[in-house]
Amino acid sequence: MPKQIAIYGKGGIGKSSTASNVAAACADEGYRVTIIGCDPKSDSSITLLQGRRIPTIMDLMREGIDIKEADIVFNGYKGVKCIEIGGPEPGIGCAGRGIIVAISLLKKISRAIEDTDLVIYDVPGDIVCGGFVAPVKKGLVNEAYVLTSGEYMPLYAANNICKGLSRLEMTLNGVICNSRGALNEEKIVSEFAKEVGSQLLAFIPKDVLVQTCERDGYSVIEKAPDSQIAAVYRKLAKSIMGKRDGKIPVPLDDSRLRELTRI
Amino acid sequence: MPVKKEKEPLIMHPRPSSIVAALYTLRDLDTDVVILHGPPGCSFKHARLLEEDGMRVVTTSLDETGFVFGGHDALVEVLEKVIERFNPGRIGIVGTCASMIIGEELHEAVTQVQPDVPVIEVDVHAGYRDNTKGVVMALESALASGIISEAEFERQKALLKEATMVEKRHGAASKEYLEPNRGDLKYKVAGRLLELLKQGKKGLNILNAKKETAFMFADVNLAVAQVAEKLGSGSNIVNMANLDDNVGLPKNRRNAREIKEDLKEKGFEIHHIIGGLDEYPVAGNTADRIIGEKYSDYDFAVISGVPHALPMDNIKNMELFSVTNGPRQVVPLKDMGHTHVVVEIDLHPKTLGVSHIVESEFGATLREMVKDA
Ligand code: SF4
Repeated sequence: MPKQIAIYGKGGIGKSSTASNVAAACADEGYRVTIIGCDPKSDSSITLLQGRRIPTIMDLMREGIDIKEADIVFNGYKGVKCIEIGGPEPGIGCAGRGIIVAISLLKKISRAIEDTDLVIYDVPGDIVCGGFVAPVKKGLVNEAYVLTSGEYMPLYAANNICKGLSRLEMTLNGVICNSRGALNEEKIVSEFAKEVGSQLLAFIPKDVLVQTCERDGYSVIEKAPDSQIAAVYRKLAKSIMGKRDGKIPVPLDDSRLRELTRI
Repeated sequence: MPVKKEKEPLIMHPRPSSIVAALYTLRDLDTDVVILHGPPGCSFKHARLLEEDGMRVVTTSLDETGFVFGGHDALVEVLEKVIERFNPGRIGIVGTCASMIIGEELHEAVTQVQPDVPVIEVDVHAGYRDNTKGVVMALESALASGIISEAEFERQKALLKEATMVEKRHGAASKEYLEPNRGDLKYKVAGRLLELLKQGKKGLNILNAKKETAFMFADVNLAVAQVAEKLGSGSNIVNMANLDDNVGLPKNRRNAREIKEDLKEKGFEIHHIIGGLDEYPVAGNTADRIIGEKYSDYDFAVISGVPHALPMDNIKNMELFSVTNGPRQVVPLKDMGHTHVVVEIDLHPKTLGVSHIVESEFGATLREMVKDA
């Protein structure tokens, strides 16, 4: 069975950059990788496709297309299979239901989530409703990761996600810190990870290179393979691919969370 | 290049829902209790009707709170209650629009409760164009839990495809809006039929009914045979029926056997078995073939049940008497060329929970009128 992971975290914290760089790094190692973007923005795969935006499953559904695998599964950097779920127009319909429908359609017409070594679900900002956790509930995710910085809001979101995971009896397999340059950041996030029953897997320093490459439509792995930041992503990829047991997280209460950010 | 789906014609009259179709399928599989996971009012009329057939249907009664906060706990609670109260040998859980939209996982509750009897979970809502989708989904789960064989599953799927086609060609899914219609006056149609019998015309008497509805439709054919006998033209009538009791899900086999026994007792001889009770979408083809080979020179045909599933090829020159239970079936049947169309109102509710033939209005009319003939 492939490793099927979901990366959670507050909106805007850098999930898509992390997901695509990890995907690229794993592809470099020779793994077959599938990345499934669940965000309406549909930018999980854009840096694996040289800046090209692919049609989302929901775009095609809306247009009444008889969807075939070739319409939604695209080959990106080193054969990474890229799929974007998309979403309805803001304020209309139900995005959660969209994810449920898209995932079951995908399962029906493609083997991209079976015939692979790693599936990465780049899920929307927060677990907000039943539909958003469809990949987890449908048994399509066996490892969950939380991405956060050391600031209060992202940590608050991360803690909320831990609540959701424990509710679903889903294990947390690691916390990743995407640095925003907060004071004592690494220490704060590593302490948070420990207290929820997990561990800090990687500290990704702030580096403009990531944004520069993204703007051109590339991951740093592809565009700046020898950079320091690329090495960080590679290390993270290696540790994700390694075998490690997760634990159902124990969320912190709000006052402890506040205390933590003051370390 | 992505290909656009062919746009199916808009159909505006409400049709049977896939949720209900799943419920009926679970009944045919001899499920003891079904839990509808959703709003208390969902599919209530059919749920009640199905209880006539001995299957219990209960609901988790999700309300606004359930829609917002999820209905997992309610489902667990109802599942536990069902086990305790009914001690069922087989349980079904059926989704609804509401629970499916909010992403309820029926299986989670089953995992939590761990019943020691099989549970058939059907992740269905009512948003499918063809209600047969609900049947397929129920059968898929039954297959997954080892309740039916792969062969039976494939057989059922092929039949459903045909059933859908039959409805699209000449049935309730054939037109944008179908006006309900009560059909021709029974005594007029009966009068015409008696006239033909008196003249010694040769007729086909065909039962091609869907599942339990055969309990009443069979009475129509029985009455035709009885009045023909009375008028001395019994030997001019050929009887065909889809009452093969060797095929189909448990309930259908049982019902075919029960109807056959009743008919036999009343001296009704079936000359040709054209299929099983679930084979109504294809049994018409068998009948058509037999007619082509042996009876194409017959004068009239009485077809009860799903008359529009019988191809017109070999009967188009006959005077056709159709008996249906669908008020929306009248117009399509007339369009096909059926001269007389009679509707048995409320047939379905009267045929649930029975194990013997039920009197039909048309049959009763024929029997009454022959007394004066
Ligand atoms: S819309 Fe769906 S869930 Fe609601 S009552 Fe009708 S069938 Fe049931």
